[in-house]
Amino acid sequence: MTTIALMTDANLAAAAVSCAVPLLAFGLVMVATRRHPRLSAGISIAAVSLSLLGAVFLLASNWHAPAPQVWSAAWLVSDAVQIPLGVLLDPVSLLMMTVVAAICLLVQIYSLGYMAGDPGFSRYYAFMSLFAWAMLSLTLSSSLFQLYVFWELVGLASYLLIGFWFEKFSASQAGKKAFVMTRLGDVAFMLGLFVLLVGAGTLDVTAVNGKAAAQMDPAALTLAALLIFGGIVGKSAQFPLLTWLPDAMEGPTPVSALLHSATMVAAGVFLFARLFPFFSQSPAAMSVFLAIGTVSMLLSSTMAMVSRDIKQVWAYSTVSQLGFMIMGLAAGSYFAGVFHLTTHAGFKALLFLCSGVVIHALGTNDMFEIARKNGRRLKLAMVCMTLAAAALSGIPPLSGFFSKESILVALAGLDNPIWFAAGLLGVFLTAYYAFRLIFIILFPRSELAEPEAEHGIGTAMGSALVILAAATLGLGFAEAPLARFLSGDPAAAHAGPHLPWLPYAGIGLAAGGLLLAWFEFGRPAADQKGFVERVPALEALFANRWYIDAFYARMVSRLVDRGVAWLCAKTDQRVIDAGLDAASRNLIRSSGVLSTLQSGMIQHRLLVLFAVVVMLGLYFIA
Amino acid sequence: MIVPYSHILALAGIVFLLGMICTVTRRNLILMLLGLEIMLNAAAIALVGASLRWMAMDGQAMALFIVVVAAGEVSLGLALIVCVHRSTGSVDPALENRSAPENPSA
Amino acid sequence: MTIYSAIFYLLAAVIVATTALAITRRNMVHAVVYLVVSFFGSALLFYLLGAPFLAALEVIIYAGAIMVLFLFIVMMLRIEESKRQLFPLRQWIPAAVICVGYLAVLAAMISGIEADRPVQIAVALPAAFSVWVFRQGWLVVEVASMLLLVTLVGALVIGRPVKPDETADK
Repeated sequence: MTTIALMTDANLAAAAVSCAVPLLAFGLVMVATRRHPRLSAGISIAAVSLSLLGAVFLLASNWHAPAPQVWSAAWLVSDAVQIPLGVLLDPVSLLMMTVVAAICLLVQIYSLGYMAGDPGFSRYYAFMSLFAWAMLSLTLSSSLFQLYVFWELVGLASYLLIGFWFEKFSASQAGKKAFVMTRLGDVAFMLGLFVLLVGAGTLDVTAVNGKAAAQMDPAALTLAALLIFGGIVGKSAQFPLLTWLPDAMEGPTPVSALLHSATMVAAGVFLFARLFPFFSQSPAAMSVFLAIGTVSMLLSSTMAMVSRDIKQVWAYSTVSQLGFMIMGLAAGSYFAGVFHLTTHAGFKALLFLCSGVVIHALGTNDMFEIARKNGRRLKLAMVCMTLAAAALSGIPPLSGFFSKESILVALAGLDNPIWFAAGLLGVFLTAYYAFRLIFIILFPRSELAEPEAEHGIGTAMGSALVILAAATLGLGFAEAPLARFLSGDPAAAHAGPHLPWLPYAGIGLAAGGLLLAWFEFGRPAADQKGFVERVPALEALFANRWYIDAFYARMVSRLVDRGVAWLCAKTDQRVIDAGLDAASRNLIRSSGVLSTLQSGMIQHRLLVLFAVVVMLGLYFIA
Repeated sequence: MIVPYSHILALAGIVFLLGMICTVTRRNLILMLLGLEIMLNAAAIALVGASLRWMAMDGQAMALFIVVVAAGEVSLGLALIVCVHRSTGSVDPALENRSAPENPSA
Repeated sequence: MTIYSAIFYLLAAVIVATTALAITRRNMVHAVVYLVVSFFGSALLFYLLGAPFLAALEVIIYAGAIMVLFLFIVMMLRIEESKRQLFPLRQWIPAAVICVGYLAVLAAMISGIEADRPVQIAVALPAAFSVWVFRQGWLVVEVASMLLLVTLVGALVIGRPVKPDETADK
């Protein structure tokens, strides 16, 4: 990949420029324009616009390209191990790149309104650019090692942005928790990379998906797959590492919209899609992935059913939908997972941005408070939120319906009906909790507060909402073209058994969830207490996140604080300190003994003299 | 024909040992000096025996000079002991000697 | 076992016994007197081993002058008998250890020498001995006399009584 190639090959140039420009923006803002907030925002938005243009150009020009294009340059070379630096342009990376760039741009425009007046405005945009660079480079990485590097960088950006308001203790704690938990997954990821390197001899994505993996020992392949999935569990907040994502809502809402719904957590699913041929070669690993995805999906749906904080509901929903995507991919349908990833990015970001509008206007996250403060008068936000919630629930003709349906088809194609049943249950629960929130806000029960002075939603925030709403409405109809683009044949959209009743089952369950929510929350006579909340034990279980956090806290306290730390402290005291003390005590004692030699008594000295003579005699005789 | 030379050496060795014990073990400066004398005597015995063994006068000459040196050394040593006794009042070689008042008779 | 060897062993026994007794007496006068007897035995031994001049010297100088000097000092200093334990264990044990080592060395040294050949009897007549000393060892004679001079002067200086007005200088 020489400079000449950079110049002549338009695709490569576009890819490189799209990736690099946000990095330049980051550097510029951090170094030069910290004191000029509007200038920083301008630089950052310009950079991301450029990236989006590049991404659209690449998508358009390669729409009909048959095979993935790879450019790579030798980077780390040592005997048999070669890790190159490169760019891989294939359908999923182009699609992901476009999604990421688009949502980055929309969120950055939205932040002009949301973060206005914040003292860290420039810093915010700098970190946003950092994230954009890292995420775009991640999607275009040609080798797993390069991907890992950007994976970590994305984690860094997440930490910086979650703890953006670091003066608030809970925010910095949340940032730390996110970083540490994802790091845990990344350790497994790194181990998986080592196993892969040793087993297959290469970390190049194309090779791993192709011949190299086929030559690997099946046990090693399963092990590598499971370990790499560990990284996905961490990054995409699946069970058991799912508790960092609800806490990550401490960050500003645009950050939640960008990172923790649409793009960063989707990086895990993206990796799955990237390595789909590799993972498919190990059916055992795929079943494990399926199980983990199902458990995450159901668990977090239950947690969302009792939450009072609107951002938390959408956070749990993200975990649940990511689990759903992983279910789709693990069931064998590449297209289903990726399509749901794309549509989810759209409507989840929209949900978060609408919530951001509401929070910004009313100053509270609690949904009952919002209802009391007459949140429903924020018309644009409520309309968009209802639209997005409907998409989330899978109500036609919105985008969510199409993507969920393709996943359900894939699940139905599996041997064990339990996965399909779990998927249907998930659809029901999703509709229920989504509309629970909508109805609580739309139909307040308690006293309405005095309506405050209307300050309309700004143009920045409003335009972002509208664009995303349009995407939510329209993306579903792009299913067939996308399927053709991603896998080469349109029939991939419906890979699986042809069950004509399936769409109706999906719609039926979604409608069922909606009706139950209406019955419990929306009806004028309803008391807005869900069926789960009537059972205090269940409510406590769900509200405490199934005690996963408590378990982790206890484990950390036992293992680390009382275990390792205690061990270290005791070693420090008893072994090191005591050793030094004993050494010095013995030194003093021995010097006391030795000092008797210097008694000044001449007879002792004579004794020593004679002893030496005798010993000399012994030496010379013997 | 007297005894083999090794016997003479054995005798000298045992006497030397006795002298060493006296020097090192007795808590009295005068007896320490006595031990030295015993040791010197033992050396003289060994030398005379050697002179007889190898039929050479050198051994006896050396024994003669040993006696001379012993005499000189004893006189000086005893003078020193008298000094010590005058200033500290005891002839104990240990440092627990404490300053005693001057002996009016010295 | 000739008569001479019998005499030798007898004398050896006497010397060792009296020396042993001398070093274990509390009363210093007793110790000195025992030692005088020991030196007498040594003198006889020297005579047996063919050194009559030395035997005479031993009696005159060693037993006569040196031991008498010891007696003078003992009586002059009026040292009381020590009531303490004679051989305290703390000093005795290291000495015992060295004794053992010493005896081992002694045994090793002696066993190397021919154990069967007795020494011949010979006598160094005093005249011949003296001529030999002054002829062959004249330098040592001079040095020894210088040494005696130094000793004399030193003993005089050290033994001088301390006058009260001289303590300031000292």
